[in-house]
Amino acid sequence: MKIIIAGAGAVGTHLAKLLSSEKQDIILLDEDEERLETLNSNFDLMTHIGSPTSINCLKEVDVKSADLFIAVTPDESRNITACMLASNLGAGKTVARIDNHEYLQPKNKDFFKELGVDSLIYPELLAAEEIISAMKMSWVRQWWEFCDGAIVLIGVRIRENAELLDTTLSELSSSESPFHIVAIKRNQETIIPRGKDTIELNDIVYFTTTKKYISYIRKVTGKEDYPDVRNIMIMGGSRIAARTAEYAPDYINIKILDTNIDRCNRLSEALDNRIMILNGDARDMDLLIDEGIRHTDAFIALTGNSESNILACLAAKRMGVAKTIAEVENVDFIPMAESLDIGTIINKKFITASHIYQMMLDVDVSNVKCLTFADADVAEFTVKKDSRVTKKTVQHLGIPKGFAIGGLVRNGEGILVNGDTQIKEGDHVVVFCLNTMIKKIEKLFN
Amino acid sequence: MINLKLIARIIGVLLLIESAMLLFCSGVSLFYQGDDLTSFIYTAIISAIVGVLLTFLSKGAEKYLSRRDGYLVVALSWIVVSIVGTIPFYHSGYIPNLADAYFESISGFSSTGSTILDNIEELPHGILFWRSLSQWIGGLGIIVFTIAILPLFGVSSIQLFAAESSSPSYDKVHPRISVTAKWIWGIYAGLTALQTGLLWLGDMSFFDSICHSFATTSTGGFSTKQSSIAFYHSSYIEYVISFFMIFSGINFTVLLLMLTGKFKKIIKNSELKYYLTSVIILTLIITVGLNYTSNYDLEKAFRVALFQIGSIHTSTGFATDNYMSWAPFLWGLLFIPMIVGACAGSTSGGFKCIRMVILSKITFHEFKRMIHPNVVLRVKVNEQTLPNTIQSTILAFSFTFILITLTSTLLIMATGVEFLESFGVVISSISNMGPGFGRFGPDFSWSGLPEVAKWICSFLMLIGRLELFTILLLLTPGFWKD
Repeated sequence: MKIIIAGAGAVGTHLAKLLSSEKQDIILLDEDEERLETLNSNFDLMTHIGSPTSINCLKEVDVKSADLFIAVTPDESRNITACMLASNLGAGKTVARIDNHEYLQPKNKDFFKELGVDSLIYPELLAAEEIISAMKMSWVRQWWEFCDGAIVLIGVRIRENAELLDTTLSELSSSESPFHIVAIKRNQETIIPRGKDTIELNDIVYFTTTKKYISYIRKVTGKEDYPDVRNIMIMGGSRIAARTAEYAPDYINIKILDTNIDRCNRLSEALDNRIMILNGDARDMDLLIDEGIRHTDAFIALTGNSESNILACLAAKRMGVAKTIAEVENVDFIPMAESLDIGTIINKKFITASHIYQMMLDVDVSNVKCLTFADADVAEFTVKKDSRVTKKTVQHLGIPKGFAIGGLVRNGEGILVNGDTQIKEGDHVVVFCLNTMIKKIEKLFN
Repeated sequence: MINLKLIARIIGVLLLIESAMLLFCSGVSLFYQGDDLTSFIYTAIISAIVGVLLTFLSKGAEKYLSRRDGYLVVALSWIVVSIVGTIPFYHSGYIPNLADAYFESISGFSSTGSTILDNIEELPHGILFWRSLSQWIGGLGIIVFTIAILPLFGVSSIQLFAAESSSPSYDKVHPRISVTAKWIWGIYAGLTALQTGLLWLGDMSFFDSICHSFATTSTGGFSTKQSSIAFYHSSYIEYVISFFMIFSGINFTVLLLMLTGKFKKIIKNSELKYYLTSVIILTLIITVGLNYTSNYDLEKAFRVALFQIGSIHTSTGFATDNYMSWAPFLWGLLFIPMIVGACAGSTSGGFKCIRMVILSKITFHEFKRMIHPNVVLRVKVNEQTLPNTIQSTILAFSFTFILITLTSTLLIMATGVEFLESFGVVISSISNMGPGFGRFGPDFSWSGLPEVAKWICSFLMLIGRLELFTILLLLTPGFWKD
């Protein structure tokens, strides 16, 4: 599959690296030679210096043979123009990054399609959606849906009060348990657990389950007394903050703090009156106490400065805020932030890239769907006729170490897998494996 | 600095138009064989001569109207036009006192509707028609009227419009102001014509129908009968007039939106919401109140309440019932709509609903700020943020409104009028309402006011019509300095 990425900014570069490791043909287009230089030598991709809105340049990279054209320069109108040019020059599918949610309205979708822009991506909105879902399910660390929600993957941190603490997996899976533990993250390391492994304190445990058993998982992990988020404080009036405030459910009270008065004014003009905009520094403890940090259920730090965000979240945790969310744009800080026990990390680049990635997979004809998740790969296979997995029940398959079947979807219905399950042709199977194993597993299903 | 030539030219043109109106009245007078014919013809001739002279003298005027000129021309036009309008009353001998005659004239041109006449039915048709016509011209503003014509002289009229509508929210509906003005003019004329037709259907003579429609659309309130609308004893007429009064209190740009079918924008209009809610709630309270206290049956109570609230909220001033005979709480309640008035951008007077909406928001924000000192709050009207300058303008306006009201009340009390009556007269004048309270309520004319008080009221009507600041600005020394 040939993919052209226009704009070697943070999102573009991340996406290019991600896709090149998937053995796709990537051409990265940018006007700035310096930005491209290191990429060209270190990764398996081609770079091209030139403007994405130049017809000549697009012809040079042979845009008409491209299956996917992704425009992720910082300028919205430039992205749209580039996509229009590319699709008219013969590119297969085009994706443009935008900063205007008016364009995203469903009624405008066909309009953009006619212009030649197949999909629009608004990173700030995606980030806001992630934050809102994190607040709605505040006890969950991570949440992922497969096959339109037939199977759900949730990551939960185990505390002292969890029923599951210190039990082995074989004890749990022996009964007809309504969930399946597919991965455990323990001190930076991800384990695909076997029957002998036990669940320890401070593990982040990844469960696959169907939607009706989520409350059961909440119970066994001891999160039932976890407060529902009703009052939140947002530090930094960024665009993500504005979109979060806009799309948050009405029962949530929101306070946004920003030090810049102009930005406060703009937010106050743009947002509904129920959202309180405060002009002040969210690192000022007296102000936070005055504004009721002690009754706040979630603290979200969304300034442009990753360090400040992390520190502010830590301070909020010390003040007793149960849920903290920090925007960390600096990729190197993410593991550190996780180890500092910050509830949810928001990274615009990752969110955007994974969104584009999923979109790309939709156009892909192969049956492997894959995304990187907590250092492990989650892959979705469609089982082919006469493949090896259909010959025996799961326990007799001789599944290699570092590999787990999370669940399967048969006729649109999510089914959890245990030892006696017989996989059939046509099932969608969700599997988990450590990074390098995906090719090996592919053989099982083909 | 001040473009006197152009101002003279504009005033000259206005006088020519007024002369044409006066000639029209002499036509009416001729038709009804009234003895006021000569007065109209004389006045028309004087007006025409001065008009021609002014336009002739101002030949070659520079076609640029500064902000200062705009304010001056607005103020001067009202004063000059109302002075000319005084002549027929005075010359015909029906109002022999100059203070009375000017009072009646400015009450007409400011679409107030207070009268010093105790014998309206005895007046000739020409004079009656002139009273109503002056309200109609005054209603939407002589200036808006000329805005449709001014561009013909090649003068950009944007400054004029700014002065005329110093109300806080003026949504532009058309990029060109002269087109907007023509539309507004069209709606205005259309409403009048429709109402004339409907009233004519309901047993009112054609002449009275036109006069009352003039006085309704302009929210003026001059009637051709001493006992106002109560004369007709017709619920049909009362309902029709109620409806048109309430309708005329709506911002004309909103009416224009209605006409073009942009209902989404109308639903979001916070001033309209406030106005209609206020009309409904006050009507209901008074309906129930009258039903209990004044042995009116429910239909009559509702009809009287609706009419009176419509009349007072829009500063029209028609009457079907003497509200001074109601229970004190019920007529006391009328102070609220009398002060507030209807929507900005309509022909009504008073404080205007939009200012109430904004003031209440500012106040609410102040309370919030007391608990959260760091909170950033912007006042939003119709989902648009109001610039801080407009907020302070409104606060200054409120202060001025209160100050002028209190001072004028004291001044009128100094002429020997009781407090309630003085206060009622002042509020009624400054809001361009019509009737006051007590001895100057709907059953009485204002002929009993001392002469000085009449001059004060005339001045209040003038500044009230021009939203205070336009006239007061001329009284500041800064206006005359460079």
